This record gives sequence, structure tokens and C-alpha cells, in this order.
Amino acid sequence: MLAEEIAIVAYAQTPCVRSYPDTEPSMLMGLVNQILEETGLDRHQIDFTIAGSSDYLSGSPFCFIANVDGFGAWPPVYESHVEMDGAWALFEAFVRLQMGDIDLALVAGSGKSSPGTPREIFPLQADPYVHAPIGLDPVSVAGLQASALLQAGKASERDFAEVVSRSRRDALSNPYAQVAKDIPAENLLEEPYYASPLRKHDLPPISDGASAMLIARGHRARELCEKPVWIRGIDHRIESHHLGLRDLTDSPSSRIAARHLGLDPGSLDMAELCVRYSPEEIVLRQALDLGDHTRINPSGGPLCGHPVMATGLTRVIELARRIRAGEAGRGLGHAASGPALQQNLLCILEGES
Amino acid sequence: MVAMSEFPTSFTLEYPYTRTLGPVIGPFLTALRDGRILGIRCGSRVLCPPLEFDPETGETLSPDFVEVGPMGCVEFWTWIAEPSRKHPFREPFAFAQVKLDGADTAMTHAVKASGPEAMSNGMRVKAQFREERTGAISDVYFVPEADALDMAIEPGEGEVEISTHLISLTFDENLYPSRARYAQGLLDGKFIGQRSPVSGSVSIPGKGYDPMARVLMTEADDVELAPTGTATSFTVITPIQYKGQTETEPYVSASIFLDGSDQPLTMQNIYNIPVDEFREGMRLRAIFKPVAERNVDNVDNSWMIFTTGNVIERWEPTGEPDVPREEFPEQI
Repeated sequence: MLAEEIAIVAYAQTPCVRSYPDTEPSMLMGLVNQILEETGLDRHQIDFTIAGSSDYLSGSPFCFIANVDGFGAWPPVYESHVEMDGAWALFEAFVRLQMGDIDLALVAGSGKSSPGTPREIFPLQADPYVHAPIGLDPVSVAGLQASALLQAGKASERDFAEVVSRSRRDALSNPYAQVAKDIPAENLLEEPYYASPLRKHDLPPISDGASAMLIARGHRARELCEKPVWIRGIDHRIESHHLGLRDLTDSPSSRIAARHLGLDPGSLDMAELCVRYSPEEIVLRQALDLGDHTRINPSGGPLCGHPVMATGLTRVIELARRIRAGEAGRGLGHAASGPALQQNLLCILEGES
Repeated sequence: MVAMSEFPTSFTLEYPYTRTLGPVIGPFLTALRDGRILGIRCGSRVLCPPLEFDPETGETLSPDFVEVGPMGCVEFWTWIAEPSRKHPFREPFAFAQVKLDGADTAMTHAVKASGPEAMSNGMRVKAQFREERTGAISDVYFVPEADALDMAIEPGEGEVEISTHLISLTFDENLYPSRARYAQGLLDGKFIGQRSPVSGSVSIPGKGYDPMARVLMTEADDVELAPTGTATSFTVITPIQYKGQTETEPYVSASIFLDGSDQPLTMQNIYNIPVDEFREGMRLRAIFKPVAERNVDNVDNSWMIFTTGNVIERWEPTGEPDVPREEFPEQI
């Protein structure tokens, strides 16, 4: 049971771009200012700020401290940080507001993947003894996951292509998307393999970008906006880092999180899933028992823009935007971390009833 | 073609990680060095690669090792068409889940094969050990059974107790726009800073925003500062001799506030003024090198340390009276 009702009050995001030429704090500052302007708040009224970012991405030790500039260096902030996607910053902010002593929390995620080579950086989050020294990267693990799905008869290459085709077509109406195109699945299937059975389009683009969100306890949320989007529950679970101990065709950690949230998949009008590689959508649909009545990734999802460290938080924002617009009443936001959906966060959002 | 206003930078970030291996990974990697593969008993199962704990319960496992392989079975695989620089092979290869004979869990590792047509689910593969082995997971890889060579492996000496892993990542980006204009200014013999449109405070180099007023700034907020300023604090560096050290005599490293600036140029090395004559409050003027000798090779995007490139020949006393310390209380 939640002690405090928490709602999303405002949000902002940058477009996903292959290379953003200026600083990461400047990306955040634009978003923070946008949220403050929309809500009429002064920065000193924000009780708690928390950011998700990773110094390794841009190779700049302690750049997460520079990011505080983005929130404004004055007055001092009550600040926290996670070396994780901003969705986990949202989780911490949600828990922090449950304490009941403060009302407002500003959450952000930001990342610049453009200066480095993500395929060389990400093995560093893998097991340092048996995975990192052979450069085992998320693209390769996604290839293994896809291969496992084919072998188990749970998906076909055509299914992967359909996910990409639909996502890129949906992204045509998303002004923040980096990659958008109306291209049929059969054309995609003609492309060469990159990490077989995956092709390059089954992978996310390399993106720079950021997103931010203001959440509030119930009474403040109603004061600050006309249409609060309620966070009905949030939970995250993790699986082993050893692929040999996991069933890559399933997502038991997502199912555990769903069970703890009492998630009824029949109640979901929409789901924004952190599908970084097309097979992940098939795994999540099956693990969470999402049916045809649940619209998946109307934004196009991470396959159309993957600002690492903001990608998951952006899923929650994309869902909140559509709930506020009346396109959905209740939906599921999902964030993932680690290769092949190793860690999963679920967040149930609902509009005003 | 790189436009003149773009300043590409490239740097390599390296950390040599050394890790102790403990009672399970240590023997596992020691065995690999010696041409053998170990699993660990966990109830009725054998885990390979071995873990220190039961993955179901978290209970510590006793170091009850079982030799597994060297033959095994590919559960499933992916063909890596364009290997990264961190992969075990330069040419295309497969990553696969390999369940070694005698093990109940699969190991993720590389299979070297002639092409994807040589790979299949369920195929038999054999471990091959590299000639040079260090006690690392990369000592071994797999090949299709038919390609396997028999090798005589000489066991090494002692136990492998430490792993070393050099992390080396290269980052390429252009200077941020505000930093690029600052760098171009240095090449032109000018100090270019930025003035906050809200507070009026001047910083050099500009960050492209005012973090206090939380306002983004553009080229319109650039200001050129005079080459004169006041030394507000300094230290005397006595060089210690080490490989690569080029300094031999003590010298001053000073912070200098250019006139009109609210942020100092730090670590300005002074060689032309004797260390015992240098004072806080001294008035100084930058004398730039001849144009052909200037470069900004050491100007990067770092937010912590700002250099002034290699453009300043020396800081010369202007001859004006020193500024009393009371006049720069905020600048110490």
C-alpha cells in the first residue's frame, strides 16, 4: 500500500540526436527551465532533485557533478544521483516522497553517447572476470537473445522486422524521434545480418538526449496542474548477470515486478516498453501477457531514439503525455538496464478518473 | 574537411583494473591457464563458469570443482559480422552459449568458425587454448569439432590470484561551441569570455550558460577581455625530477583575474619573474607568442580544468601599483 499518492505534474525532453554539439548540463538546463515555467514554480521550491547519468558514456570523470549546473547552482539543491537510467531516479524520488515530509521532486536522466563507442563501453558493466575481457556487448547479447527466441519457436525473424516497421512508422509522428520511416517488414528482411539473426535496424540508434519530470504529492499535484497523471505503482527487479543462468526467452524479473504491483494486463490501454532491440518487445509482451488491446510504443520507442540514461524515463514521459491527452486511461511504463532485459522497472500510470 | 571554427578533440581514457579473484574464480582461471576448464558443484548441478554462491539461494558454495569439457554443445549463437576492438577476434566470429560436457549451465564465449554456415544449434565444439595464456577468460575460445587441433599445454606456475584488465576507451568530439570560440580567440591573441545576461558576471572560458542564474548563453553573450589582470593567488612549484619532467627550476603558478572577469585563469606558469619577487595583487599583462607559434592543442572540453592553450609567451608586470588585497576579497 502506498502511504502517499504521487502524480506526474510536468515533463520535458530533448529531441534524440546523433550528436548534440554542446554540454550535457545545457541539455538539462533547457528542460528544467521549461518545467519551472510551465508550473510557475521557483527553483527554490523544489524539495529534492535526482539525476541519472553515467560518466563513462562521454568519458568525463565526475561530469555527473557538472550536471548539477543544469538544475541551477543556486540555491543549493538537496540532490541525489543514480548511475542508472533516469527511471531509477524516478523510483528513488517516488520512494523519497513516500516519507511525507516534502512535496516536490525533480527527476532527470541525460546522456551523450556520441563521443564514445557504446559497443566498447558497455562490456564494462558486464561480469569483469568472464564477460568484460571478451568484450561481450549488448548488441551481441541481443543477438543471442534473438537466436534463443527463434530456437524456442517463440518468435520469427519476421516478428522482429514487424516490431521495427511498426515502431519506425509510429515515430513519424514523434517530434523527438531520431529515426522514423514508413518501411514494410519485407524490405527490412532483405538487409544483411549484423549480429545474426538481427540486422542493424533491430538495434537502437546511437543518441544524445535528456528528459526530466516533476512529481508531487497528491495535494500539490492538484494545485500545480489541471491533469495530474497518477503513479499507481512502481517496482523493479533484476536477474543474474550470467546468461547461462537466465532463460533469455522470458523475463521473470518483469513478471515478479508485475506481480508485486498487482498488474492486470487487461486494464492497460497502452504500454511504453524500453525495447532497445526488437526481440525485447516479444519477450516483454509474452512475459507480461500484453494483449492486442494494449497499444505498444506509440512513440516508436527506443528503436527510434535511445538517449542512454534517459531512455527509460522517457518511456514514462511518453506514456504520461498520451494519458494527459486522453489517448489512454491507464498504461504501463517500462525501463530496462543491462543486456537482454537483465533488469526491469515497471511503472503504472493512470489519468484522473 | 574540418571547418576552421571546429576544433576536433580526441582522448583516450585508460584505467588498469586489478582484481583479486577469490576461492572460486582464482582456481577457475588458474585451470584455464593450465589448459583445463572447471565447473563447480551446486547441489546436483555443475555450474560453468563457476560461481561462489548458489544462484537460487545465495548460499556460499564449497570449492568442489569438477573438470568439464573440453568438448561441448552450442545451445544457440549469433554471428558477429563486424567485431568491435574489444572482441577476441578481428575477423567475424560467433558468440555462443556453450554447454560443456559435464556442465549443466552454458558459458557465453566466442566460437571461431569459417562462417555462419559452419554454425548450428546443437553443434559440437571444442575448447582451444591460446599459446600465450595469462589466467584470463580470453585464454580460451571454441572451434567446431572438426577444426580442433590437439595441443600440448604446459601448466604454469603458482596460483592465479589477481586479474588485470586495462580499460582503454577513446572519445572523439568537437570542442563545445563556447569553448571553440574561446580557443579561436586564443589563436587570434584575444581572451574571449561570456557575460551573463542576467547577473552581468563574466566567466572565461564561458560555459555556454550561467549556472547561477540558470540561463543559456550564446555567441551574442561573448565578450573580449583585455590582456591585463591581477594575480590573486599563487604557489611556487619546486619541480621533482621524474621521467618526462621538463622543469628544473622553481617557478610560480598563479591565478590571474583578467580585468572585468569574475573567474580566474588558473595555473598560469610564470618563469620571467623571480619567485621571491612575485606578489599577490601584482598587475600583469599577457604577451602572446607570434601567431605561427600559437596552438590550442591542449584545450579540451574538460569542465574542471581550463588551459589557455600554448599561446602566451609570458606574463609581464605592467608597472602599475599592486592591487591591495582588500580589493579582491572574493577572488582569493
